[in-house]
Amino acid sequence: MEVEREIVVPETPDEVWEALTVPERLEEWFATEVELDASPDGDAVFRWGDGDERRAVVRELEEEERLVLDWDDGGSVVVELEPADGGTRVRVVESSPDFGTALELRALGPVWTATAA
Amino acid sequence: MDSDGGVDRVFAALGDPGRRSLVEAVAKRGTATATELAAERPITRQAVAKQLSALAEAGLLRATRSGRETRYEVTPAPLEDAVEWMVSVGAAWDERLAALRRSLAQGKSRSTRQPPDESRS
Repeated sequence: MEVEREIVVPETPDEVWEALTVPERLEEWFATEVELDASPDGDAVFRWGDGDERRAVVRELEEEERLVLDWDDGGSVVVELEPADGGTRVRVVESSPDFGTALELRALGPVWTATAA
Repeated sequence: MDSDGGVDRVFAALGDPGRRSLVEAVAKRGTATATELAAERPITRQAVAKQLSALAEAGLLRATRSGRETRYEVTPAPLEDAVEWMVSVGAAWDERLAALRRSLAQGKSRSTRQPPDESRS
């Protein structure tokens, strides 16, 4: 199962890449406290104000293009950057742990409606 | 989360349109048996029974013996888990990406540009 989000920001891919890979920058938007070794197999620790902590490993890293983190509790996050009209397209896909068979969300529609009724 | 394996099975089970339509039919009736469901579709009772049993294994239907037949009813909990995961993870990313946008705008104004929304004389 996946969640996908996409935004276009006015900054260039290298500016966005910095916000994705420099711990101090990540602390401005992703978590309260960040440790990140931004290289393949590098370790990452994210802490939030509510005491939450998640650890991850950098599975893939292509400068200014693609960053993949594997959470140590399962699942992964893929962030992809792409030059877009007037800036950079940022695409995020988070996969749930043990995701096997893909199912279009719309396929849930009829069943969900039926069971919720 | 120990529900994730279950969610995974739910999605696999629902990947088939025939099985989805069986879940809908059971939900509509409240409870149903393979015989009842086979009567209204062009497949055998055995085929329906096999699908129902797969759906029960995935946790989507609950089976109870009723005489010689097995009755099924819908258990929506696994679907709620799946939907809840999507909603909460999606909402978290909406917030983070909005914060990323702000952080980028501030970073830019710090290093190279005048802040767009502050006038300095």
